[in-house]
Amino acid sequence: MKKLLLIVLISAPFIAQLVVLPFVNRIDPIIFGLPFLQFWLFLWIVLTPFCTLGIYHLQKSEGSLD
Amino acid sequence: MQQGNLTALSITIFIILTVVLIGFLAGRDKATRSSVEEWSVGGRRFGGLLVWFLVGADLYTAYTFLGLTSTAYTAGSLAFFAIPYSVLAYFISYFFLPKLWKVANEHKLTTLADYARERFDSKLLSSLIAIVGVLMLIPYICLQLSGIQDTLQVAGTGFINVKVVVITSFLLVALYTFFSGIKGPTYTAIIKDVLVWAIMLFMVVSLPIMHFGGWNPMVDKIVTEAPHLLTIPESGPKGVTWFITAAFVSSLALFMWAHAATGVFTAKSADAIRKNALFLPLYNIVLILVVFLGFIAFLVLPDETDPRFALLALIQTSYGGIGQGLAYSTIALASLIPCSIMAIGASNLFANNIYRDLINPKVNGAKLTMITRGMVFVVIGLALLFGLVFPQALVSLQLLGVSGMVQIFPAIVISLFWRNQSREATIIGLLVGLVVTFTVYSTGTSLGIYEGFWGLMANFATVVVLNPIFVKKAKHSSNAVKNYLFDQSSKEEQLVRKGA
Repeated sequence: MKKLLLIVLISAPFIAQLVVLPFVNRIDPIIFGLPFLQFWLFLWIVLTPFCTLGIYHLQKSEGSLD
Repeated sequence: MQQGNLTALSITIFIILTVVLIGFLAGRDKATRSSVEEWSVGGRRFGGLLVWFLVGADLYTAYTFLGLTSTAYTAGSLAFFAIPYSVLAYFISYFFLPKLWKVANEHKLTTLADYARERFDSKLLSSLIAIVGVLMLIPYICLQLSGIQDTLQVAGTGFINVKVVVITSFLLVALYTFFSGIKGPTYTAIIKDVLVWAIMLFMVVSLPIMHFGGWNPMVDKIVTEAPHLLTIPESGPKGVTWFITAAFVSSLALFMWAHAATGVFTAKSADAIRKNALFLPLYNIVLILVVFLGFIAFLVLPDETDPRFALLALIQTSYGGIGQGLAYSTIALASLIPCSIMAIGASNLFANNIYRDLINPKVNGAKLTMITRGMVFVVIGLALLFGLVFPQALVSLQLLGVSGMVQIFPAIVISLFWRNQSREATIIGLLVGLVVTFTVYSTGTSLGIYEGFWGLMANFATVVVLNPIFVKKAKHSSNAVKNYLFDQSSKEEQLVRKGA
């Protein structure tokens, strides 16, 4: 379970910011004053640190952080 | 060029001089230049926040602001590749920088090439890495130089001789770097980062209001008048594929740069680095907004504007003397301070890994420290020479900088995790990667994919295919760094498992 969560947290920033780009490459809908592509990139500026934080805590709880 | 503004020019010069003065004051304690380790990585005593400022100051340069806005002005949303690039660079760094820092700390290493030398017992590899590093870094310093030159040209036309002022300010920076080492750019980095955040946010808020009546009317106007700016081109030489591969390769390359590594090695603990990996992505909030300044420039400025001056011309047409002065000085500092850290990185590589590893292995500590410091003048001098005399020769090197730097990734990062990676395969892989990158670039056969991506794939493939041939030696050989990385931890694990 923890292993799965770790894999999700590690791969999410790559998938969101590289792999899915062709699908988010659009103007509509405009959210918070940002066209969709820019909103999406902005969203992941904020979400990526949470992924890192999650990984940090997982590693800490496993004691694998040296 | 239009006549500058005297108030703006005075503010810019005043702020530059103040910062240079602080740079000197930062080094009034003699200990700052007592050894290479003190001078170049501040004795590894910097906490999380200071490293954040330093790395932030390091990576967000004048070229970032001027280059991104001019890319946005001409190529629209392609400029946004910088966002996933740097967000991912910090994310990836979380997984290897703490480890690299610990090896460097344990074995008193100050450059990435030092690490490669100790890890692979190879002075050939370390000097190769140093040559690539210096060769790619000098053009990058030149970019900073042209950044401040353009800024002073806009601010000071009609009042000053721009070239003289540029040369003087760079010599002053070289002098304070020589004197204070990494302490100089660290303390001034705080001023620069605060100014960057304040001024960029001020511009992002005020410019849409001044020209369009607010942020939302501005976005509406871009959507109706220039929608092509807001998405990445679907096809063409630089489309979505280029965007993805460029962002990915650049993110792997970021901490391979000598100046970025220097910043990282100043940290006092692996945890300070983890915190940085966590918080540095937030720096990009300002970057995403800066790209919009390029869109504003596209809508506001006359068609014949030189894209290189997009941001500067936008500032000039929008603000009075004080606003212009603060904005220009921000860009000038974003040029000078990274330049200082880059010079430290390049000098360190040259003195440690080209001079000591290749030419004079018996050099003593005091002499090596002096040579490292003195190299600052050579590096900045070369950058000035190339930048002012042969600006055209640099264009290719600048374009290829990232693609070239990333080729040391297997030698530096993969080797932290792969015990049996052999020296021979790594060296050949690095060379193959460089050759493929340059060939793809010069023959124009990139097929819409970032050049460095081809090089890196060739590099990886070479290492994987050749490694079995040399693996026997690598398996049986051991050294302090290898022990530290692989054997010690496995011993500890065994102890833990045994319940000891």
